[in-house]
Amino acid sequence: MSKRVGIVGAGVTPFKGRWVEKTYYELAQMATREAVKDAAISIQDVDAAFYGIYNDIFERTAIPEHAIHGLLGMQNKFGIRITTGGATGAYTLSAAHAYLSAGRFKTALVLGVEKATDCFDFSSMSATPEVIKSIGWSGDSFFEQPIGWSASDSYAEVVLAYMDENPGDLKPEVTAKISSLLSEQVKGNPYAQRQFDQVTPEEVMNSRLVVYPFKELEICVYTEGAAALILAEEETARAISRNNGTPVVWITGVGEANEHSFAGKNQKDMSRIMSDYYASHRAYEMAGIEDPTKSIDVVELHDAFVHQLEISMAEFGLVPLGRADSLIDDGLMTPGGKYLVNPCGGLIYCGHAVGASNIMSAWSARNELIKRGLKTALVHGTGSTVAQYTVCMVLEHE
Amino acid sequence: MTTQQEKVIPSKYIPDVGSHVETIEGNDYLITNDAMYTFYQRSKGEFSPFFLALRDDKRLLGCKCTNCGLVRVPPFLTHCPDCNFAPTELIEVDQVGIMNSTPPITYFATSLFQDMAPYGRGRVIFNGADTAMSVNLYTTTGILVPGIFKKGTEVKLIFRDDRKGEMTDVFCVPTVELSKEQIERKGVQESEINWEAPIEPKLPQADDQEVALYNEALEGIKSIIEEMNTNERARKDIAGWKRHILVKTTGGQFAIVIDDGDIRLEQREPASPDFVMVCEDPRTLLDGLAYRGAITDSVINRKLWISKNMEFNTIFKLDRMARSVARSKKS
Repeated sequence: MSKRVGIVGAGVTPFKGRWVEKTYYELAQMATREAVKDAAISIQDVDAAFYGIYNDIFERTAIPEHAIHGLLGMQNKFGIRITTGGATGAYTLSAAHAYLSAGRFKTALVLGVEKATDCFDFSSMSATPEVIKSIGWSGDSFFEQPIGWSASDSYAEVVLAYMDENPGDLKPEVTAKISSLLSEQVKGNPYAQRQFDQVTPEEVMNSRLVVYPFKELEICVYTEGAAALILAEEETARAISRNNGTPVVWITGVGEANEHSFAGKNQKDMSRIMSDYYASHRAYEMAGIEDPTKSIDVVELHDAFVHQLEISMAEFGLVPLGRADSLIDDGLMTPGGKYLVNPCGGLIYCGHAVGASNIMSAWSARNELIKRGLKTALVHGTGSTVAQYTVCMVLEHE
Repeated sequence: MTTQQEKVIPSKYIPDVGSHVETIEGNDYLITNDAMYTFYQRSKGEFSPFFLALRDDKRLLGCKCTNCGLVRVPPFLTHCPDCNFAPTELIEVDQVGIMNSTPPITYFATSLFQDMAPYGRGRVIFNGADTAMSVNLYTTTGILVPGIFKKGTEVKLIFRDDRKGEMTDVFCVPTVELSKEQIERKGVQESEINWEAPIEPKLPQADDQEVALYNEALEGIKSIIEEMNTNERARKDIAGWKRHILVKTTGGQFAIVIDDGDIRLEQREPASPDFVMVCEDPRTLLDGLAYRGAITDSVINRKLWISKNMEFNTIFKLDRMARSVARSKKS
């Protein structure tokens, strides 16, 4: 029988647009130090390490985790790296959960780290074009990279196809309000890249188009930073909790799905994010959730783009498909509404340190459940081309 | 097919060997120019017939499953995973198709594609195919704006004159912009299409009111540019960037000079501007610089014309400076 697994410690570095002062070695150790401190254990008590590092090019080395394994004190123990695009952090959590659940280890470090903005474009004398070029190497290399594939344009394809089928949804004034709302929520996150970058809906509407239909203030920002969790199987988790006085937040549901990369008959339906649908519903099933609208209190959602946040919420079954604007129109995610969505500010305002992002989201969800005394959270990671990969996790606080 | 020798990495992308020190809170940090490069002689393998047909014969191939009959374009595979890996066979398909969904338009591109922006990339289901192929999308009517390509728009595959056996050998344009003969004929090349050269918009003769409006707007623009020049965040946005921009409006013209962190307005025509900006109403530019709507959007909405597409880069920097000043006022 599989074992119950919970989160017993967590830590993040500040998320910043640029960490000139640190390499990814030190960022990895900073988050790990915070996580073991939070769990009140020693790194020697940790049995295995699961590394979420998205892109070899960002770290400027293949097998980027090899150097940090010993620097974290994990030498001679199990160490594995997961890399699945934007969903890297969530898939890393999923892998750690599986090993612990199977009884292979009692404790595990789940560490996400990314150093994105060392990349630099010398023709425009700025980092962002080179950062998104580096991500551009992730697209299909035979048919799509050479014609300008990018993460933004591939997600925009999905959003526009959704809008083709649901022309009244994802209204610009609603996406602007959501971005503005997230910018307010980030005020409470001292680790966020944009803690003090509050914007009005009007400012969002007036911001420049980057990739149609996405405006600058509706897109996640690239970030450097790290996030770490300590996971433990039930018996060990309870012992750690008794020792540090922090309740265990249990991972009661996990679901994953990767869609087809290419569109058309028997391939991807561009107007849906079926990976979000399958992953969330598999996680609900495992957690025994029959009606997520009655169970989910907190959602930490991988908001690469505001429009995709809305579609993802619909695919999760939390709002009707085609009526995702009810998140704002019916007050479902406004203050005091039914769902607390991205209290950390999401990836748009806290920042997107790719391998670390979903682990930061789990860190935030755990904090919110404990702090607010809420019961259930949904944590989400999306990635690859055309929102192809999804991992969802249900976290529960006893 | 290639007539001139090109480098795999154009030299403009390659930085000089060098380093510099950045000081943060009294501590020095060393930053080194670097690259991670690998060269390939990469095989196109089973895709070779597809790319060779594009390059040499101007034909579009797909693969048809011998069991279910599904036609995939491009021919992604030799065996169908939906039919327990039944073999597929190569077939030729039509060069007219429809957009599978409304395509995105990239205005802010990666460093590899900045010269190409704005560009469209979308998926087309060619007649005779069941799956969609990614292609670049162009219009003969000027800058690509939303609404030209939508779900269901009929498009035609056009071949580059200079083909290399890559997906860049082809692109699509809406069939409404082509003649009946061009739509019906396979293998139409880019040089056979009437592309509009960038024609600078003619400005009307200014009356007294427009001159007064220009003078008022000019004072506003001057004041904002001076503010930008004293704003550290905004100056950082144009670090390392140099441009002489000639701005033409109905009431008069002036220059904006960007010089590695400095920006200034000059009331004279630069000897050799890097590009020209034309807007009938100078308040269009004033509003953009004052963060009351993006200059990028004014270009897209055709309220402001620029002589070089690749100068979208500079437009982005001006938009970013406007936001930097707005952010500084808040914090």
